[in-house]
Amino acid sequence: MLTPVGQSIHNSFFYWKSPLLKAEFCGLENFRLLLSDRIFWLALRNNAFLLLGSLLIQLPIALGIALLLNYPTRGRALFRTAFFTPMIIPTAAIAVLWQYLYEPQNGIFTALVRCFNPDFSYAWLASPSTSMIWIFVTICWQFIGFHTVLFMAGLATIPEELYEAARLDGASELQLCRRIILPCLKPICAVAATLSIIGSLKYFDLVYLMGAGLPETSREVLATYVYRLAFDENQGRYGYGSAVAVLLFLLALLIVTPLQLRKPDPQ
Amino acid sequence: MKYHSPGFFWRHLLLLIFLLFTTYPLLWMTLTAFRTEGDAQQRPLGLPAAWTLQNVREVLHSGNFVQAYQNSLFLCIVAVLLAIAAAALAAFAFAHFKFRGSNTLFILFLLGMMIPVHVTLIPLNQLLGADYLNLKGSLMALIGPYAGFALPVSILILRRAFEAIPQELLDAGALDGCSSWQTFWHIGLPLAKPALSTVLIFNFLTMWNEYAFALTLLGPNCQTIPLAITEFKGEHDLRITAVCAALLLVIIPLIVVYLLAQKHIIRGLTAGSVK
Repeated sequence: MLTPVGQSIHNSFFYWKSPLLKAEFCGLENFRLLLSDRIFWLALRNNAFLLLGSLLIQLPIALGIALLLNYPTRGRALFRTAFFTPMIIPTAAIAVLWQYLYEPQNGIFTALVRCFNPDFSYAWLASPSTSMIWIFVTICWQFIGFHTVLFMAGLATIPEELYEAARLDGASELQLCRRIILPCLKPICAVAATLSIIGSLKYFDLVYLMGAGLPETSREVLATYVYRLAFDENQGRYGYGSAVAVLLFLLALLIVTPLQLRKPDPQ
Repeated sequence: MKYHSPGFFWRHLLLLIFLLFTTYPLLWMTLTAFRTEGDAQQRPLGLPAAWTLQNVREVLHSGNFVQAYQNSLFLCIVAVLLAIAAAALAAFAFAHFKFRGSNTLFILFLLGMMIPVHVTLIPLNQLLGADYLNLKGSLMALIGPYAGFALPVSILILRRAFEAIPQELLDAGALDGCSSWQTFWHIGLPLAKPALSTVLIFNFLTMWNEYAFALTLLGPNCQTIPLAITEFKGEHDLRITAVCAALLLVIIPLIVVYLLAQKHIIRGLTAGSVK
């Protein structure tokens, strides 16, 4: 498992004229190119967008739903089952399905807006400036249920007596939430955030499939850029692709290591 | 507590709205799979005007989903068994034997969890390509990477399970003349059964749904389920009903399994990623 990473780093110092020919050593040339590569920076920006979206939108919604379910709720098990369902579906299938949901002519999103504005037509996934937003909505669809279940598991560990004691002391629901629930949920929030951060560096399937129709300046995240550089027709730029991969790896290490170190060892 | 606590109505309304958001896409897909093509173009919402099985029949005829199912099943079973066998042995060693460098080695394994797997696409492609192992295009190419990338999480979960076994039990086994191997087999494994099933489910689903490696390392003649569905879409892009029928064939078995083994699957997927 570590060998491929080493190989990636090794590769990134080489230049392939074609995948069939032998590589030539070119030092840091690949990395120098990378710094002035517009697509690379745009891909990085898309990763950052998805990362912030996950942290600032997806997790709060999941937490909110978990809090709602924490009250006595009719059919709680049913909600939980339904919310978690997208997690077991192959991401590739989700991408295929959502491409149809976003269909400009008779997808359900268009149909929904047409209830208010009959002439509406909009190419959701084909517009470079906004397509990432719609891909993000799909990501939310896929993962909110998962995080909800995580938060529910965390909520279940808070003892009932704590709530009762606080209520006896006259705490309002809002105070209850701020003073008791959220502090107790801190560890699980940290876990969910770490997962989101790691996950958002790993996006590939959805972005690759759903962004297929976009110009190359707006459809990439780092992982898809690596893939396209190396394996797309007429590309075969193994060395350059590896350079992107190495940066992706360093980025993951840089972000995740402090998070992991901060967390107290469970043992 | 009473059901009629404050905001009962609004809470349930919000939950129902989110329920609609989660389930409607799947419902729409199911309904579309049984529509006629014209119906799907004119009235995409609501119930089908006439129900038809034509789409499902067509997918069974023209798609290669039967083959893809066989491929995916074979691949995932072999890779999961390999991964679990290796991970259980390693985790047991990490939990109960102290050897030099064991901590460093363990941390190296954990590192594997953080690496975005796509970093390894290019080198694995070289390694499995014609110059070295020459496995590209066959299912064999995927077994190694799938089993390998399943190791970190599996070792982590199993190590905790093995550590939870009291040392006295193991010592008692040793006193009765168990070798290390027998201790592992007769005491360790049976007591770690819940963790083993968690690991099994988590890895199986991850492999079943994996796309990037399959896309890179398999050829057009050998497909897993995720590849088959995207290719089917590519070929029948304009036939929404047929693609939805294909999606249905991919998703329904998963949902059935999910409903049957829900508790285990939820635990497997959440535990797998939490730690």
